[in-house]
Amino acid sequence: MGLGAVLVSALVYGVVSRYVNERAEANIRNVMLTHRGLHRYIQENMHPTFFKAQADGQVGLDFYSPIIFSSSYIVRVMHGLYNEERVKDGRPPIYYKMASDNPRNPVNRATPYEAQLLRRFNEQRDLKEFREVTDIDGEPFLVHAMPFLETGQACLRCHGKREKAPIGLQNLYPGEGGFNEHAGVIRAVEIIRAPLSKERYAALLLTGGLLGGLVGLGSLTLFNRHLRSKVQERTIALEMEIVERGRAEQQVRILNQDLERRVDERTQQLKAANHELDAFAYSVSHDLRAPLRAIDGFSQALDEDYGETLQVEGRDYLHRIRRGCTRMGDLIEDLLTLSRSTRRPMENLSLDLSRIAQEVIQELRSTGADGRTEFVVQPGLVAQGDPVLVRSVLQNLIGNAVKFSSKVETPRVEVGMVSGSHPAAFFVRDNGAGFDMAYRDKLFGAFQRLHDAEEFPGSGIGLATVQRIVQRHGGHVQASSQPGEGALFTFTLGA
Amino acid sequence: MKKYILLVEDNPDDEALTIRALRRNNIANEVVVARNGAEALDFLMARGPHVDRDPGHLPEVVLLDLKLPKVSGLEVLEQVRAAEQTRLLPVVVLTTSSEEKDLVESYRLGANSFIRKPVDFDQFMEAIRNLGMYWLVLNQSANGRDGS
Repeated sequence: MGLGAVLVSALVYGVVSRYVNERAEANIRNVMLTHRGLHRYIQENMHPTFFKAQADGQVGLDFYSPIIFSSSYIVRVMHGLYNEERVKDGRPPIYYKMASDNPRNPVNRATPYEAQLLRRFNEQRDLKEFREVTDIDGEPFLVHAMPFLETGQACLRCHGKREKAPIGLQNLYPGEGGFNEHAGVIRAVEIIRAPLSKERYAALLLTGGLLGGLVGLGSLTLFNRHLRSKVQERTIALEMEIVERGRAEQQVRILNQDLERRVDERTQQLKAANHELDAFAYSVSHDLRAPLRAIDGFSQALDEDYGETLQVEGRDYLHRIRRGCTRMGDLIEDLLTLSRSTRRPMENLSLDLSRIAQEVIQELRSTGADGRTEFVVQPGLVAQGDPVLVRSVLQNLIGNAVKFSSKVETPRVEVGMVSGSHPAAFFVRDNGAGFDMAYRDKLFGAFQRLHDAEEFPGSGIGLATVQRIVQRHGGHVQASSQPGEGALFTFTLGA
Repeated sequence: MKKYILLVEDNPDDEALTIRALRRNNIANEVVVARNGAEALDFLMARGPHVDRDPGHLPEVVLLDLKLPKVSGLEVLEQVRAAEQTRLLPVVVLTTSSEEKDLVESYRLGANSFIRKPVDFDQFMEAIRNLGMYWLVLNQSANGRDGS
């Protein structure tokens, strides 16, 4: 990565600096060609005109002025002015020289570098220009050089032997410099040297800009790739998740099927068990009662036919046998009711609980089981449920209430609804013996009794039946009491 | 012709108690006992061992237990109602069962009454007394008119 960046930077810098150099070079070359054009103009137009004017006697033979006659002088001066303008413009001056190893003016004397260039141009005549980037005192410079004109016969008039040169020229240049030249020799080299630091700086800036852009682009590309790979990763993860989810769903389906199958099995088993229970209940109701009836019946027959021959004690035994039969008969009856309350198919009807309660109370009154009980039934109690089963609930609760309040001075049984309850909670309250709340849990268990059989006879199945019926309706039943302060039974039918 | 009762009962205890209850209620009519459903049908249809019997001389009432060996009480009832001769014969189902389905099925097959045998003999006596009073004394049987 790092190496790549370095390579790319180097490459970009190379390309950019080459471009910048080429532009600088083109500029310099233009300058040089302009200068050369000036030389040519002077040599081709001004020299013949001057010599003609001299020949015509219009100009004196001793007149000579470098201002109008020396192209190297004119170009140098012009270049000086050009540099002045450059400096005014905040640019570095450009070095220009018409370098010769035999100059008239010492400022034009070639440095060893320029002299070597001059020799090279003389040796390689096909070499028309030379350029080079070189460091001078640590600063980069572009050097551009061109051979000056090959000395011709016309040139020798001023550059040949001193004594043959125009008088004005001999007067102006006292030395041998610029004289004694030979035809066919390249007399000078024109050289321009321009600083490249600005261009380098520009190249660096450009490179930097380019590289910055490139880095930005690269970053974008990388980021894009990163994003793409992220998206791809997420896509793969999602696909896997979908597959996983599908597998999980499949498993759930299999589990569900298995569960359904097992529920079916259990339902079949339960149905079979229910069927057995049915058969058992039928058998109990039939077969258990018949011998009981025989015991009771023949005990009575014995009492009636032979009672007089028995002593009082013997007859008491017979009565005890018959009471036992009655209790057992009741027990079987209650067991059957309990069994039926579970097995019986349920109906769901609108029920007038107030009316059912009144009917139950009427039944109790008709058998004289109500004693002196005062009944209070709240009118307008309605509920949803199975008419037979709900009647059984009220029979049990009202029957219990009557039974357990039978020993108080003014027995009172109340049937009503807990105001504001939702779902509707119905209650049966008495002012009788009550029970100890510590045994509340045992209250609804089959065959659980909280009172002596002597005191309050019963099978202990009634409340178990109530609970089963209420639960089958999706409701709850609960009891609260204090011994001696009556009992309160509350039940709901469905949530 | 003498009025008599046909008691279809396989339990000898119940048979004895039923007869005793009838007697104690001063119902002195003859009680013919069949021990199972097949025997009861043979008797009523005057066939098998009872082939010599006058098929027109039917009991005033049949006291029919439901749970019987061989042919059940409900099957007996069904056949009695199916036969022209016994179509109108009063049949009182007298059973220990308190199953609702037995009660419903009995009435559906044409039972005239359904009485559940209570455990308490006093209640049983009361039931028999009412039964005898109604079917032997008060009821104008269709049998007599058909038979004579």
